[in-house]
Amino acid sequence: MKFDMDYIAHNNKLTESNPYFKLFLTVFLLILTLALDNLYFDVFIFIAMSVVILAIAGINYKSYIKFLLIPMAFLVITCLFLVFFFGSGKVIYETGIFGIVVTTDSLHYGVYTFMRVLGCLPCLGFLALTTPIAKILHCLATLKIPKIVIEIALLMYNTIFIFLNEIDTMQKAQETRLGYHSYTNSFKSLGALTSTIFLRSLDKSETLQNSLDSRGYNGELPLYKPKKGVINHVRG
Amino acid sequence: MLEVKNLKYSYNNEYKALKGVSLKVERGDMVALLGKNGAGKSTLFLHLNGIYEPDDGKVFIDGEELKYDKKSLLKFRQKVGIVFQNPDDQIFAPTVEEDVAFGPLNLGLSMEEVQDRVEEALQRVGMSGFEKTAPHHLSGGQKKRVSIAGILAMKPEIMVLDEPTAGLDPQGVTDLTRLLRELNSEGITIIISTHEVDLVPDYANKVFVLVDGELIGEGTPKEIFSQPDILEKANLKVPIVTDLFQQIESEGFDMQGDYPLTINEAKDKFLELINKN
Repeated sequence: MKFDMDYIAHNNKLTESNPYFKLFLTVFLLILTLALDNLYFDVFIFIAMSVVILAIAGINYKSYIKFLLIPMAFLVITCLFLVFFFGSGKVIYETGIFGIVVTTDSLHYGVYTFMRVLGCLPCLGFLALTTPIAKILHCLATLKIPKIVIEIALLMYNTIFIFLNEIDTMQKAQETRLGYHSYTNSFKSLGALTSTIFLRSLDKSETLQNSLDSRGYNGELPLYKPKKGVINHVRG
Repeated sequence: MLEVKNLKYSYNNEYKALKGVSLKVERGDMVALLGKNGAGKSTLFLHLNGIYEPDDGKVFIDGEELKYDKKSLLKFRQKVGIVFQNPDDQIFAPTVEEDVAFGPLNLGLSMEEVQDRVEEALQRVGMSGFEKTAPHHLSGGQKKRVSIAGILAMKPEIMVLDEPTAGLDPQGVTDLTRLLRELNSEGITIIISTHEVDLVPDYANKVFVLVDGELIGEGTPKEIFSQPDILEKANLKVPIVTDLFQQIESEGFDMQGDYPLTINEAKDKFLELINKN
């Protein structure tokens, strides 16, 4: 199964609910979780928001786990580093390699950071998985977030999909010719892929500029307010 | 209506993409610009609404010379709309309706007017109901139609399409051709670049042939497709129907220099030949 966050955001039971409410709830819960810094509360919020995402928004649990796994990888690595390489205080475990030790401090940091992030993830997930990005950007625009920030976010968001597609196609083309057959040529192929993507992005940005100019772009993306009561057509 | 005079353009002062192109398009024309890959078709198109400024030469629209200051550019870009070859280069907004609204909003129209135009344009291209859809959830043909709607909503007088049929399935090509013919009959002048010759006689009343930055032929489809030397220089072929009749002629049937270009003409010609023999 392919994980398509954007598709999920457009097709769940909370898609049409008030985006302001969702945005504020998310920000509020994030701040609360960080401010309280309480292990029990972290666990509570993790469970509570997971229930909201799975039961109320009706998002498939496999997708949700995939969503969690990506940042989880970074989280685990970060926290391992925190536990083994940071902090001072009483040594509670000696690994015996290069004098790397776990101290009370570092364990505390590691565990707290891990739990705090664990609590925050479903809060963000709640927003990301239930609200199409267009709606979030609209909210931010009405909340007087600088236009330039929103425009960059909007253009980035759109180009991400084009590039993911492009990378996917190029990678398949390389694989077809055994580009990832061994370690050395994997590195070579990846290098070639990266540099090509860079060149193509320059190319694309010029074409995009041309096409925006063609439609009278004046350096500012205007905000469109749709008519009320237009029904969305679900992708079929 | 649209006139290009001795247009020259080079990339990086080195590679000469256009070497003095002159052409004239009348109001209500449906023009096909033929040429192989790299002939300069896209480069020429980008001059038609002032995206590129030529090294030499001039562009006139409605008898007015194209100027390159902000105000005139906005005016000319409303008149001449370009539909890019790859819809992904053109569609940038997170929803279909926002993308279609982009051009009209840049023209400074009121929100009600823009809403009406978006609705109308999407209906024209058969994409009503997809207003809130994210563009990357659409198929290639649907994206193409949205990109056309984005230009239609600006109500241009001239619509320029860069290889519009590339990458479409046969049904998509048929639908697109029908749509363009409809728009043309409503008074929009249409210029299409392509190297798919089979469809050209079906819709175009005027054909230009561009080779290596130079215009080497212009005329009706009938005139152009009866000049093998031009076609050869441009890496083009005659439409498959015409090819068939040329081969029949070499079997001893006299066509009197009149080769059918479309299926309909071919049908009549066959009946005529059968009745004669």
